[in-house]
Amino acid sequence: MEFLSRTQIILALGAVGLALFVLELVRRRRLSEEYSLLWVVASTAVAVLGFTTPLLRGITRALGILYETSTVFALGLAFTTVMLLFNSVKLSRLSHENRQLTRELAFLRLALEEQGAVTQTPSDGGGGA
Amino acid sequence: MSKASVLVVVPAFNEEESLAATLDELARTTRADVLVVDDGSRDHTSGIARQHDVPVLRHAVNLGVGAALQTGFRYALERGYDIAVQLDADGQHDPAYLESLVEPVASGAADVAIGSRYVARTGYRAPRARRLGMVVFSTIVRLGIGRRIADTTSGFRAYGRAVMEVCQHDFPQDFPDAPLLITLARMGFRTCEVPVEMRERGAGRSFYTLGKSLYYPYKNVLASLMALLRRSA
Repeated sequence: MEFLSRTQIILALGAVGLALFVLELVRRRRLSEEYSLLWVVASTAVAVLGFTTPLLRGITRALGILYETSTVFALGLAFTTVMLLFNSVKLSRLSHENRQLTRELAFLRLALEEQGAVTQTPSDGGGGA
Repeated sequence: MSKASVLVVVPAFNEEESLAATLDELARTTRADVLVVDDGSRDHTSGIARQHDVPVLRHAVNLGVGAALQTGFRYALERGYDIAVQLDADGQHDPAYLESLVEPVASGAADVAIGSRYVARTGYRAPRARRLGMVVFSTIVRLGIGRRIADTTSGFRAYGRAVMEVCQHDFPQDFPDAPLLITLARMGFRTCEVPVEMRERGAGRSFYTLGKSLYYPYKNVLASLMALLRRSA
């Protein structure tokens, strides 16, 4: 087995640390299992690449990259891009759902007003009509 | 006006300065029912509508003029109106044209009637940038549906029930202009233009601020393209 470069070791350890942190977030319910998946997969992949020089070297050669570390960074960048895109898609869906909820609320409010249950919208500007 | 029941939908976002005049004018000129959709205003827009005994649907947050119109459509559908007319709160749209705008939809000649500034020679002169945009979008729509619509950006429109039902599910949330017209045309809805004159806006700020004026062309070109690429339902 070849010696691991210092950069490789740092990257791999960092990746392991990240994976553990992601799992800890899930444990504390700060991150849902659904969203943790991409992170765990990506950080595990980086850790594996960092510790296994032949695999990394093979990928590097296949991609026509000069240095192994560049491969790791390139993959990291690719992952970041995918993650951001994924977030944008989620965001679009969330804002769509948000619109539905806002509309639903408006109709409920009107129904209540028509029943005389409420008289004015509390957040109507500086205090309503 | 014909037998068809008409709802005038007034989308309003921070329009306390001009809404009262618009509602007064509506009360004088038409017997159609009026609905104000307060799109998350931070001023007294809702209160003014209530003072005029006009029902208000209030979005808790600002969603955009398209979303406000969509809310109006849902109200119209639920309450059995045949036609909904969008009339802006800022005084640009003259209620005197309501009848001629509704007529083609009520008679079944069209599914959407657009109050257009360019069908007949009218007094309206748009700023140069806006004129350029209008030509561009008119061209896009013509390429898209093979028919010319002179005023693609006019918000003064009458929508029939079938169109409203479709728009319940899919509708541009911010600028319901060229992409909407393309989508509707591809679904087989018939559009016609009715000559109207538009006035300068009374008070308040336009929906179209600087940031939006940069985003608008991008969004509408992209959305028009997507409307063409989507398989028509």
